[in-house]
Amino acid sequence: MSDFFATIEALPFSTWLRESNSIWAYPTMLTLHTVGLALLVGASAALDLRVLGGGKTLALADLRPLFRWMWIGFWINALSGVVLLMADASTKAAAPMFLIKLGLVAVGVVVMAVQRREVFAPSAAVTPTAKSLALASITVWFVAIAAGRLMAYPGLFFGL
Amino acid sequence: MSHWIVTTLKATSVSHFMVTSEWAWPLCETLHFIGLALLIGTVGLLDLRLLGRMRHMSFAAVHSLIPWGIAGFVINLITGVLFFVGAPDQYLANVAWWYKLAFLAIAGINVLYFETTQAQRALAIGSGDDTPRAFKVIGAVSIVSWFMVLYWGRMLPFIGNAF
Repeated sequence: MSDFFATIEALPFSTWLRESNSIWAYPTMLTLHTVGLALLVGASAALDLRVLGGGKTLALADLRPLFRWMWIGFWINALSGVVLLMADASTKAAAPMFLIKLGLVAVGVVVMAVQRREVFAPSAAVTPTAKSLALASITVWFVAIAAGRLMAYPGLFFGL
Repeated sequence: MSHWIVTTLKATSVSHFMVTSEWAWPLCETLHFIGLALLIGTVGLLDLRLLGRMRHMSFAAVHSLIPWGIAGFVINLITGVLFFVGAPDQYLANVAWWYKLAFLAIAGINVLYFETTQAQRALAIGSGDDTPRAFKVIGAVSIVSWFMVLYWGRMLPFIGNAF
């Protein structure tokens, strides 16, 4: 497996990403990753905060289009994330904080999919399940952001 | 002038704490990203409505989420000031930081103009209504300038050399 990541890291594209001074290499990928974060976590948080009691005049069913923005943000980040990983594959893939972040993103996406069914269930009222899901969603995404940030500080969080 | 700002700020205990504490900088960065998501998520949605998209919602309904966007902005203002107090020299010397500030000013003037002079008119926009051209311009200026704030913020370590 570590051979695999070393091979990825040695690809011309990965080397270019890592070593080029071009603004289109690493900096642009990081920017895309931040834009994706804003769309995914921003749209998700807007829905979660509405479910948890903010903005009561807003009909929940009207927020359905937010899911499109969440998925757009998710795919921007999945793609830019793969590219960012390629640049430092062997270091990042072995970093505990990266695996934690990946796990959190996986949980976040599952919560998002379940949420879509629960929030827009036929009954108009917000169910306790919908509230729990909203709380889980906003918590998981915020912690995922923290994990992503901490990847730049290996070892800081209890040695991770 | 800028020399005076740098020496004065760097002499403060807050500045010292920001650069010597292992945790302060990464924690503020994390909060800065969370604030960014709250701001773009709610203000971006309102901008889309001003642009005449997401028309099934009344303006007032979308606007009810704005307090969370303000909360995101306040989080980012506080953490942003802490970064600046921690390392004022690296920002003042960084052209990306000045661009970021310029777009922040455009976004700020735009929203203040809108909220102080157009709010009443905007609240009358019901579900299904299109928006007047002036509102489309305000929405476009808002969304473009906030994404430019994000872009130049992200460029800080690459165009200048801020950490």
